[in-house]
Amino acid sequence: MSRPKVGFFDFTSCEGCQIELTNFGDAAFLELLNHIDIVEFREAMSEKTDHLTIACIEGSFSREQDRARLEDIRKRSDIVISYGACASTGGINALKNHQDDYKKCVYGKDCNMPHLASQEARPISAAIKVDYQVHGCPMDKYEFLDIVSHLLHGKEPVVPTYPVCVECKRNETVCRYDDGDHCLGQVARAGCGAICPSHGIPCEACRGFVHDANEESLVQTLIEKAGFSKKRAQSKSRMFTANLRSDAQ
Amino acid sequence: MCDNCGCETTEENIFLPKEAKIIKAVQATADVKLFTLKMADGYIHWDPGQFLEVSLFGYGEIPIGFASSPTRPESFDIAIRTVGRVSGAINKLVAGDSMFLRAPLGTGFPINLLRGQDVIIVAGGIGLCPTRSLIQYIMDRRDEFKKFTLIYGAKNPSQQMFKDELATWKKSSDIDFYDIVDKADENWKGEVGLITSLFAKTNLNPETRAVICGPPIMFKFVVMELNKRGIKNENIFLDLERRMKCGVGKCGHCQINDQYVCVDGPVFPLSKAKQLEEAL
Amino acid sequence: MKNYYLSENDFSDFVTRMISTKELIAPIAKGPRFVFSKIKSPSEIRLDYDVTILPPKKEFFPPRQNLVKFSSKGYEGCIDPKEKILFGVHPYDVKGIDITDTVFENNKKDMNYLANRRAATIVASNIQKVSSRAFWDTVGADIKAKGHDAFLTKISDGYHFQTLTTKGDALISCGKFTAATEKQSSEAKKVNESVNGTCPEKLKHSSKDIAKKVRDSFSKKEMWDKMAQRCFSCGTCNIVCPTCYCFDVQDKWNVDQTSGVRTRYWDSCLTEEFSKISLGAGHSENFRESRGSRYRHRIMRKAAYLNETLGGPACIGCGRCSSGCTANIADPVEAINTIMEVK
Repeated sequence: MSRPKVGFFDFTSCEGCQIELTNFGDAAFLELLNHIDIVEFREAMSEKTDHLTIACIEGSFSREQDRARLEDIRKRSDIVISYGACASTGGINALKNHQDDYKKCVYGKDCNMPHLASQEARPISAAIKVDYQVHGCPMDKYEFLDIVSHLLHGKEPVVPTYPVCVECKRNETVCRYDDGDHCLGQVARAGCGAICPSHGIPCEACRGFVHDANEESLVQTLIEKAGFSKKRAQSKSRMFTANLRSDAQ
Repeated sequence: MCDNCGCETTEENIFLPKEAKIIKAVQATADVKLFTLKMADGYIHWDPGQFLEVSLFGYGEIPIGFASSPTRPESFDIAIRTVGRVSGAINKLVAGDSMFLRAPLGTGFPINLLRGQDVIIVAGGIGLCPTRSLIQYIMDRRDEFKKFTLIYGAKNPSQQMFKDELATWKKSSDIDFYDIVDKADENWKGEVGLITSLFAKTNLNPETRAVICGPPIMFKFVVMELNKRGIKNENIFLDLERRMKCGVGKCGHCQINDQYVCVDGPVFPLSKAKQLEEAL
Repeated sequence: MKNYYLSENDFSDFVTRMISTKELIAPIAKGPRFVFSKIKSPSEIRLDYDVTILPPKKEFFPPRQNLVKFSSKGYEGCIDPKEKILFGVHPYDVKGIDITDTVFENNKKDMNYLANRRAATIVASNIQKVSSRAFWDTVGADIKAKGHDAFLTKISDGYHFQTLTTKGDALISCGKFTAATEKQSSEAKKVNESVNGTCPEKLKHSSKDIAKKVRDSFSKKEMWDKMAQRCFSCGTCNIVCPTCYCFDVQDKWNVDQTSGVRTRYWDSCLTEEFSKISLGAGHSENFRESRGSRYRHRIMRKAAYLNETLGGPACIGCGRCSSGCTANIADPVEAINTIMEVK
């Protein structure tokens, strides 16, 4: 691939993944810039282009009127990458899919303003074909680099399919459960290097579930080993997996 | 010195591949490419049925069977079907390029048990590639074997590989060759149907040694045909496929029960495979 | 074999001298657990540890190990052993190292492991605290720990130090050792014998009987599925196991996009895709698709498959898998004792 044209786009999100990208500031990212041309990036520039080699999309698909913009990006792009939890799974935004009283609670008296109208939060793949997903909240910039590196060579990116526990144990991190805490690492997709547990913070499964996640077993473990109430155990994993759980709406 | 070939069993790095040059690269079918290779240092010894770990740096390694016979040692062939990251990248290479190999690996076909016997080879799809090492071996040393039968099934005529060789085999009196396709196209004049239907054409004595290589689904039905003709399980040899990473009996991916396909196989007598619950 | 004595007061000096000669790896505290780690000062060492999170095999076969480096100029292997002293290894972990020694020697020698192993001096130590899930005194109990270079035992007023190899002998110059008296040697012997029978978990049958019964239970699908019902396929039981040695291999480019590395990573046969192959055109086949079949494979590997190669089970009874499993189903004692009861 000769110097691919790369564009960055954002939808319903905190734009934290873009910040994470521009945060790079280190040699690794600057080096990457030798191999790609960034042609669209709202956080940094205002140009627009006809053809993109890679479109990187952040944020979830939560308004029907965004569909046309997404379809336009898809039409202009060879490869579409959804990056970050919102874009790849719906992320935290999808929490609202289970609520009906959130609008008033969040926006107060302005809750019925037209620009606040939205539908359920879905991943970008609910609107257009997505070729690759970079998971995480925020996405891991080194994983992003790695995926772009693979694509530069025409190689399908290698993304772990196993749970966070594998990476966490390779790091020889003290298990959160051994520290009297809880964790969702057993069912969470790895690729983050198990960074949260290594800092003493439980995994919240921000990268979503592994395939065939044993949700029932998780609930039981949270009750038995972490002392959660049944109700809390049952809802615990929802923060980042509202669209992935067996009770997804 | 090792027992097999007299090569040095030094404490060399088993994960360090050796460079091979591509002498010829031809598209065997739409998604299979046939490479003729020569080691950069000129030396390689292998047995029919053994395999190589073929790699391209940055892309990875994949296990591929030798597709030509050691009786033709001036170069060797491998055929690669585009299925994933590594095979896709390798299949973009052309003559003059290099690939990187660790070989020979595994236990090949039991030539000593086939010698002096009637032999039938049943190959399905891409299974013709690793068995080609044995077919060529038998053809080159024809006197050492008795009646030789080859059955080859492909999905459709465009997926048939080695078309020139197939034509030669068809004419040759040294080999009873039968082929079939699942689905014909307008130019196909041959047999259409399941590979097992070709057995009606063969005349196999119960002492025949059989070699099977093809998709897992094929094994069961071919074995039934062979058993029906009185061929015992210990005289039937299967060339099995599993996920592999190291090729040297360490990484565990290819394990079938307690056997490492990469070391104990890939060729197993059916009598042994039957004792392995995970084999078939 | 030579027996020495080192007084309590001279211990820290001994450790300091060792650190000045080679990298010293010893058990240290990490939160509520322990890990083998490079130490800088004698005070870090915790010989009263129960069990470490990861077994010491990581020093020879690290969780991520580069195999080949490549660039536009060519490629080379990454074998680069560093001399190390692995200090305070419990006898069950010595057995674990002996097992990985065998498997990496077997078939074709893997110098990526063996070079590191050969550059290491292993000092075993007595078990001062038994971990809560240990069962090393009933698994392969007839197999002696071997392969270590010296054995350190805490006795009443200091340490008994037995050297077994020239590498072990070489450590004597690091401390103010004197020849052990017969009394000190017999006390050391008693200290080491006294821990036998103290493990909280127990296998009830011989390794040989277990191997046969477990192997014969292969086709009891319902039993395996039930045992694995709560399995997360999270791989913890594999990754913390001293006798697991499966790995994945991946290539990556460096940021310059021309050079890169081929790396192996500890892998886990409990994870879903371990045995999955791609057949092209989006098709795949998974040879161990169900949780039960993967759970069974692990128990088979620990209790039956490797016994002939190793002369005993591929389990050393450290209990790491049992305590690491958050679903509490990985415990080989519970699994095997259950299998032995099933008719």
